[in-house]
Amino acid sequence: MASTVDFRTLVDQSCRYSDEFVNIYYDCIDKRRRNLTRLYLDKATLVWNGNAVTGRDALSEFFESLPSKQATQGQTTLLVVTAGSVKFDGNKQRYFNQNFLLTAQASPNSDQPVWKIASDCFRFQDWAN
Amino acid sequence: MAKRFDGSQQALDLNNIRVDPDLVSQNIEVTLNRRNSMLAVIKIIEENIPELICLNLSNNRLYRLDDLADIVNKVPNLKILNLSHNELKTERELDKLKGLKLVELSLEGNPLSGHYKNQADYVSAVRERFPKLLKLDGHVLPPPIGFDLEVAPATLPPCKASYFCSEEIKNIILCFLQQYYSIYDSGDRQPLLDAYHDGAAFSLSIPFTLQNPTTIDLSSLGEYQKDCRNIRRMKDDPTTRFRLIKHTRLNVVAFLNELPKTQHDIASLIVDVNTYTATLLAFTVSGVFKETDGKSRDSFRAFSRVFIAVPAGNAGLCIVNDELFVRNATTEEIRRAFVAPAPTPSSSPVPTLSAPQQEMLAAFSLMSGMNLEWSQKCLQDNDWDFDRAAQIFTGLKVHQWFTRINEEFIYKT
Repeated sequence: MASTVDFRTLVDQSCRYSDEFVNIYYDCIDKRRRNLTRLYLDKATLVWNGNAVTGRDALSEFFESLPSKQATQGQTTLLVVTAGSVKFDGNKQRYFNQNFLLTAQASPNSDQPVWKIASDCFRFQDWAN
Repeated sequence: MAKRFDGSQQALDLNNIRVDPDLVSQNIEVTLNRRNSMLAVIKIIEENIPELICLNLSNNRLYRLDDLADIVNKVPNLKILNLSHNELKTERELDKLKGLKLVELSLEGNPLSGHYKNQADYVSAVRERFPKLLKLDGHVLPPPIGFDLEVAPATLPPCKASYFCSEEIKNIILCFLQQYYSIYDSGDRQPLLDAYHDGAAFSLSIPFTLQNPTTIDLSSLGEYQKDCRNIRRMKDDPTTRFRLIKHTRLNVVAFLNELPKTQHDIASLIVDVNTYTATLLAFTVSGVFKETDGKSRDSFRAFSRVFIAVPAGNAGLCIVNDELFVRNATTEEIRRAFVAPAPTPSSSPVPTLSAPQQEMLAAFSLMSGMNLEWSQKCLQDNDWDFDRAAQIFTGLKVHQWFTRINEEFIYKT
C-alpha cells in the first residue's frame, strides 16, 4: 500500500483520532453500555483478563454481564494503549492496562472513515490476586 | 479480636470494645470515637475480613461518623450495622456512610432518635440515606416503594492467565519472546535490529500518577519519565508528541539500548493474543523485570508491552509496532517473581534422552541458536524429526499458517 502521506502527518492524525476514541469509549462503557458493541467490528475479539470473546453477539452478552462500569489487508490500523483505574460496582478499585486495535471502515453516511474496534485487550494489573 | 468475629455470619462484634478484658489486660487502648482507633480497626477489617456483612459498633461513645466513612469503599458488602447507644446527635452523620447498601440498621439510644415527632419522618430520613433498608431499630419496615433500576450486582468474570488462541501461535510467540528477551537482557540490544521492520515505531509510557499504593519500592521511574509519551498531556505540543515516537528500527533499537539493563522473569510472562490475521499478529505481554544497573539497580518493575508483528522471512516475526508501559512492581508481584526455575514451555516432565536424541538436540541447538530447553521442546513437538522441527523454526510453518488464515478469510467473505 503506497502512502503519499508522510509519517509526521500520520502521527498527528492518529493522536487526534485516539484522543477522541478514548473519550467516546470510556464514556460509553460507563454510561451507555448497550451502545458499546456498535464501536466494534462484527468479527472483533475481546481478550478480558485471559477470557476471549468473539463476535458482536458474544460481546453484547459479555458487556451485559459486567457489573454496572480483523484487520483486513491494506486497512489503516491504529493502536491505542491506555492505562488507568476502574471500579466495578460492588468491587474495589483496581488498576488496569488496556489496548485497542482500531481499523478505518468506509462509512456510507460520511466521507470520513469510521473507526471500529477490531480487537480489545484488557487486564487488571493485579489479575493474579 | 478473633473472638468477636463470627465467620459463619460474617459478623464482627465491637460492642463496647474499650472495656474488652483481653485488650485491657494487654494495655491496648481501642477507643473507637478516636480517629486513630477507628482507622486502625477499618484497616484490620479491610485486610482480613473485607467480605464482612455485619458490624456491631454499639456502646462506643461515637459522636461522629467521619472516621467510619472509608468503610463504604473498603467493606462494600456490609449490610447490617449496629450504631445503637452511641452519641450521634443528628441524622446528618448518616450522610457520611452513604453508599453502604444497608439492609438493617440500629440507631436507638442515640440523641438523634429523639428529634422526630413521628416514626414515619424518622424512617423516611434514614431511608433517604439507605434506600434498601428493611429493618430499623429492630422493627421490620414496610417494603420501600421505588423504581428498582438497579440491576442485581453481577460478579466479575474470573481472571485467567495467558490467552494464546491456538497451540501453533503459542509456540511461535513463546519462541519469539525467548529469543527477544535473551537478547534484551544480554547487555547489548543491538542484535534486536533483526527483529524489527525498517519502518517500525516504538513508544513508552508510565503511570499517570506514580503513586501506586501497593508498592514498597518507591524508587522513581526517572529513567523513563522523560520519554513517557502520554498524548493526553501533549495536546498542545505536537512536536514533542512526534519526537517521542522512535521511528525506524535504527532509532528504536538505539533507544532501547539506552534504557537500563534488565533481567526479565520469562517464566512469569503472560501473553494475550489480540488479533491474528493473514497479515498481522498483535499480542500483549505482561510481566516483571529487574533492573541490573544504573541508579535504580535491583528495582523491580512491571510492564505491559504490545507487539504488532507481520510475517517475515526466516525469523518468523517482524515487529512493526512496539508500545511499552512500565510501572513499579507491587509487593505481590515482587514476591512471586523469579521463583520458578528456567522456563519450560511444556508441562510434561522432561524425559531422559537417548544418545541419538542428544546428538540431534546439540545439532539443532547449534543450527537454530536456541538454548537446549527450547530446542528440545521444538524437537519433541515434532517427534524428533529434525527437518520438520527445522522448518518450524525457520518460519516456514508461519507462512503456511498465515496462508491458511488468508484462505479462510477469502472463503468467508
